[in-house]
Amino acid sequence: MQIRGSRIWLRLLEIVFGGLFVYAGLQKNYHPYEFAEAVLAYQLIPEPLVGLTAAVLPWLELAGGLCLMAGLKRRSCLVVLGFLSAMFMAVLIITLARGLKIDCGCGLFFQQQVGPAAILEDGLILLWAAGLYWWEVRKELGGGG
Amino acid sequence: MLRNDPRERPLMLRRLVLRDLAWAGFILVVACVFGLLQHWPLVRISLEGNLRTHLEKLRTERRELKFQGVKTVSLFQAHDLLQQGQALFLDARPVEEYLELHIPQALNLTPEMLDKGEIQALAGVAHERQIVVYCGQVNCDAALKVAEKLQSLGYTQVAAFLAGFRAWDEAGYPVDTKK
Repeated sequence: MQIRGSRIWLRLLEIVFGGLFVYAGLQKNYHPYEFAEAVLAYQLIPEPLVGLTAAVLPWLELAGGLCLMAGLKRRSCLVVLGFLSAMFMAVLIITLARGLKIDCGCGLFFQQQVGPAAILEDGLILLWAAGLYWWEVRKELGGGG
Repeated sequence: MLRNDPRERPLMLRRLVLRDLAWAGFILVVACVFGLLQHWPLVRISLEGNLRTHLEKLRTERRELKFQGVKTVSLFQAHDLLQQGQALFLDARPVEEYLELHIPQALNLTPEMLDKGEIQALAGVAHERQIVVYCGQVNCDAALKVAEKLQSLGYTQVAAFLAGFRAWDEAGYPVDTKK
């Protein structure tokens, strides 16, 4: 009974987590040129590759988030979404260190500037992904829950 | 049987992680295919090196549509207005950025402050006075939002300085701090 309960919690947390990325991906996918502008503002990627990044990243969030919500290849989805969060964390830290004052293009429900709050938010998402992955692995290896 | 054998666990874990990475790679490929199919024009413009120009064109079109009737001033015009000392400069950036550095004598007035009715910066300012509003850089809309709102409040000589504080600072024009 307890195991079933914890599995329900795990799925719920995965659905919410996937949903956040689907929402974020849709926002970017509906406004690709605005997202490209946000990517360009970071001044980290060569200009010819900004379009490719702006085209693929939203789809990566959408694909990872949708599959996670649907329960397809959940651990791989968590790897993808966790990797995205880790990359973005690195980008935020580099940008903060360079002193650039730009919109992070990351706020889920409101605009946010690159700064400690954005890094904290991304850190929590990264921890969430890591925790879910660890939970899934434990479950798969028969270590509980 | 295998699942409960602790000796097999490291090997199983390795296999499991490798399998997860392989599927993650597959998801990446799928995302690339869909992204390229849906947004090929954007990718092509970027690969051709025309992204910046294209974004500027789109930004101008969007602003012309959204902020019709808001006048703008260039960097040099803004500098002239400051030197003449007649215009009131309003900084539409967040308060922390304003406190760090701003155009001399500029007052802080963000779109959020206007929405909340916090307009102390405008106390005693005549409706006919020349006002120049700026924000951080060329792609921010805060200056236009504030300028539009001020026009709707009856200020007749409002202009947005679109190049923003970044261009001002890079041009080596004077700045002030409140820190």
